[in-house]
Amino acid sequence: MNRRKANDSHSWSKTLIGLCSILLLCGIVGVCLGLRQAGQTTVQICQDGSVLYSIDLASAEDQQIEICYENRTNVVEIANGRIRMAAAECPDQLCVQMGELNHAAMPIVCLPNHLTIQFAEMESDMDTVAR
Amino acid sequence: MDVKKLSRLALLTSMALILFTVELQLPNPFPIPGVKLGLANIVTVYAVYHYRPGEVLILVMARITLASIFGGNVMALCYSFAGSSLCLAGMLFLRCHVPESRLWISSILGAVLHNAGQIITAVLITKTPAIISYFPFLLVSGCAAGLFTGLCAQYAISHMRNLHRVQQAR
Repeated sequence: MNRRKANDSHSWSKTLIGLCSILLLCGIVGVCLGLRQAGQTTVQICQDGSVLYSIDLASAEDQQIEICYENRTNVVEIANGRIRMAAAECPDQLCVQMGELNHAAMPIVCLPNHLTIQFAEMESDMDTVAR
Repeated sequence: MDVKKLSRLALLTSMALILFTVELQLPNPFPIPGVKLGLANIVTVYAVYHYRPGEVLILVMARITLASIFGGNVMALCYSFAGSSLCLAGMLFLRCHVPESRLWISSILGAVLHNAGQIITAVLITKTPAIISYFPFLLVSGCAAGLFTGLCAQYAISHMRNLHRVQQAR
């Protein structure tokens, strides 16, 4: 009985180690895909699923956009054709630390204030990769 | 629940909170929401293998509530809540199949489940499906962090066994 139990847990462990390595591999592949350079210059600033601003970075002039959410302000800065979160009234400041938006599949997110900055047309971009 | 067990659980909660506070002071080299070491989960992993499911649930809920207050980020509570519930469900299931000597396996899967729960909540709260693109990063960081916390817990447990043995020998 004991031996059967040991065998059982052994095979479980093997399967689970396999599962872990598959997850890790998927993660690494996903990270590599996510770190591709973006092919387009149009960015969208979204809040709660709706697009607030749609800006073409190639032609946009340098500016600062203030966005309020429940009395907390985020400042989005566009300079030299690059966009970043310049300031945010949130506890973790992760979105400010993320720096400029570079990668197609890696939006700048401010979770506390429900704000995301991302390159537009991400779905069609994914399709060309899938093909 | 007797007083002895209650005070042990309280002790474990405070240990987890200390680890959490220490981790807050460490600079995070990866500014991605959800990527962190999760030192406090060393205690969770230990508790999953040594206490009953209900007791672990009390321990984890007390920890995340107090941690979100200590960290000054009450907003993070719903993310940790979803992540922890999924992680606990998975790990309590795995406890029946993975022996304590291979604790790191269930720790890794727990960490990945924790991140999955967080991402799902983030998508639901912000209604922005694009956040899913962070999931690969969380998968990699979850595997690494889960392995680390699992091994820490395993070393801690074997040390505690030795201590126990020394105490009994006296």
